[in-house]
Amino acid sequence: MKRYRVLIDRILVCVALLALWQVASWVLGTYWVSTPWATISRFFISLWNGELIRHAGYTVEEAALGGVIGAVPAIILPFALRRFPTIVQILDPFMIGGYGLPKLALAPLFILWFGIGIESKIAVVVSIVFFIEYYATLSGVRALDARLVQMAQLCGANERQVARHVVWPCAVPNIFAGLRISLPIAIAVAVVTELISSNRGLGYLVQMGAMNFDITEVFAAILGATILVLAVGYAVDGTESILLRWRPSSDPLQQATSTT
Amino acid sequence: MSTSPLLEVRNLAKRFASRQGREPAPWVIRDLSFSVRDGEFLTIIGPSGSGKSTLLNMIAQIDTASGGEILFGGDTIIVSDPKSLKPGLDRRIGYVTQDDNLLPWRTTLDNVLFPLEVQNRLDDKSRAHAETLIKAVGLSGYEKYYPHELSGGMRKRTSLIRTLVYDPPVILMDEPFAAVDAQTRVQLQEDLLRLWEMGRKTIIFVTHDIAEAVALGDRTLVLTKQPTRIRSEHLIPFKRPRNVKDIFGLEGFAQVYETIRAEIQ
Amino acid sequence: MTAAEQVIAAPAGPLLSHRTIVLLGRCAFALLILAGWQWGADSFGSVFFAPPLAVLQRLWEITASGEVFFDIWATLYVSAIGFVIAVVFGLLMPFVLRMSPRLTEAVQPYIFWSQGIPKYALAPWLILWFGIGDVPKIVIVVTQTFYVIFYNVFAGIRAVDQRLVSTARVMGASENVIAKEVIWKSLQPFFYAGMKIAAPHAVGATIVGEFLVSTQGVGHYIEHARELSDTVGVFAGIVVATVLVLAINMIVERAERFSLRWRPVAKDMMTN
Repeated sequence: MKRYRVLIDRILVCVALLALWQVASWVLGTYWVSTPWATISRFFISLWNGELIRHAGYTVEEAALGGVIGAVPAIILPFALRRFPTIVQILDPFMIGGYGLPKLALAPLFILWFGIGIESKIAVVVSIVFFIEYYATLSGVRALDARLVQMAQLCGANERQVARHVVWPCAVPNIFAGLRISLPIAIAVAVVTELISSNRGLGYLVQMGAMNFDITEVFAAILGATILVLAVGYAVDGTESILLRWRPSSDPLQQATSTT
Repeated sequence: MSTSPLLEVRNLAKRFASRQGREPAPWVIRDLSFSVRDGEFLTIIGPSGSGKSTLLNMIAQIDTASGGEILFGGDTIIVSDPKSLKPGLDRRIGYVTQDDNLLPWRTTLDNVLFPLEVQNRLDDKSRAHAETLIKAVGLSGYEKYYPHELSGGMRKRTSLIRTLVYDPPVILMDEPFAAVDAQTRVQLQEDLLRLWEMGRKTIIFVTHDIAEAVALGDRTLVLTKQPTRIRSEHLIPFKRPRNVKDIFGLEGFAQVYETIRAEIQ
Repeated sequence: MTAAEQVIAAPAGPLLSHRTIVLLGRCAFALLILAGWQWGADSFGSVFFAPPLAVLQRLWEITASGEVFFDIWATLYVSAIGFVIAVVFGLLMPFVLRMSPRLTEAVQPYIFWSQGIPKYALAPWLILWFGIGDVPKIVIVVTQTFYVIFYNVFAGIRAVDQRLVSTARVMGASENVIAKEVIWKSLQPFFYAGMKIAAPHAVGATIVGEFLVSTQGVGHYIEHARELSDTVGVFAGIVVATVLVLAINMIVERAERFSLRWRPVAKDMMTN
């Protein structure tokens, strides 16, 4: 019963927000604030005639390529350096610096180097995803339980087998935690870089809309970008729950009633 | 059963590395000697702090010794250089630790099959052997469960048969049943004896529980406190197969129990 | 050292102390980066890689002329205002929500979904409204920084030991007093943690905002240089931005240590 009440509450809030939006549009004029109806219908029209899909595709392509190019080395590095903690220590201040520096601030540099095409967007995404994923994987590798390694060794596992059967599965939850953060950011960052300078993508649609004083276009494109960011987040969550079924649930009630 | 010992420990000594500038650390184990025959079920009783785990760690080749030697089948295996340690002595020494150390991301069946997988011995025959063991300890139906879905006792059993599945000639056990409740413990002890009867492997079982040591073993050694040595040795006169549930009522049990308990006081 | 520990971490060599090796390694790596920079400048030409010396020279020029301070001030001014507004809202909203758990649950998904909106994408629209000035930038900084504070404070309130609240109530304390004494005190570590992340974040967000709303500030300097293909300027601007963010980081760290010196008890009081 409570679940229904929460659902109804949320629908009420949604209606209230839409009403607020509509009122703002009336008060300030549709020139400045497009109406919810206009935005949503433009969104679906754009979707239908393929324009939104095309530009969203560019944005996704930038984020995906950048995500892969950034994440793969970031995941491999902590494993490769597992036996060389000294090297990890040497790199630490540089990694921290790279992590703390707002990489988005390097966007103009990448645009200068790679032009306004897809490469500059990929470069910015790579620079952000890499550091997030490096630290996530590093914490996963570090969280390794020595007793599990010992057990595997006693069973006769060699280095490679220990890495594959013990170290890797142990780090996977942390790797996913990193992806949960970095992949939605990848989309958002691609959009921002497109805003600065681009001729394709959702960020480009936003700029174009603004230049043509077509606020509805601006809102529709922002809506599209938001949906993408959230969708990527949910996708990672879904994949994680399938792959990580072995994890104990954090729900204490469920734990208490498990088999005895 | 041959008469020459399978495993021999001579004047074993261990102390941990001291920090720079400090005095050398006290001896944990000093001048410890005993031997085990092939097929024998040896129990070792030690109070807390008697370095029981350290002793097993050294036999299992996962820790170095500071002195003395260990012989396995006549060959000296003890090692003082960490780099040349061979954990499990190439699968000839199994080790059931206090923590079950199951891989949380593997199901019960996959955990039991893990050593076979790693040793490249996974085939229909070994798989069938694993399933037999799973049934023998009452885990049928739980093959697809993950460790977090199992109770403590079930995880213990899984950990136990995981070591048994690849048939090491010697099996070390470090207080494997200490962390479960009394009823489960008795059940596990019975399961262990039943499984042991099937193969008659050599077992070295360490515990702080006198009753457990007497109920399970052919022979019991009592350890001193640090620096640990063998205090005494007791032959257990009871016939096999043993009924662990009723062991306290067994004739002669109380005497053996009391003798040992008085020693430890 | 057991065999397992060996797999985890190999010991350092006996010749040099571990600390020295690490230090030397770091210097070597830094030199490697500089060498790479120089090599990049030689191979790809000064359009892509400004030579280190030229960058240093430019940094000297803008410092001597005072231009850099003007830009830094413009950036910090906007970040500070945005930061303060974000902190006010981020602090108030959880307390407001706390008054009604039903409201909190109803609103929760919308707060979560609103985070998915790429806030920088609002910039072109804001420029249409307010023109190119500080307002669009401040709005962007607020929307970027708000969530960090909000979630930290929210988590902090949730983490409050309910027993302490009940005890206070039983003693007859009013809701106001409860909010002030119990909740605020236990909230502080979370709040400061949030501020620590949010402060440099606000500066970074301002700089990126200045790419889009280009009037003044460090970000404007970088973007302006790029539009003129002034590579040296881009490099110099990035150096300034980096130093600025690192400096804010350091100041926040010092501030935290300073305030904790005053009240070391605050954290301990809650571990009862």
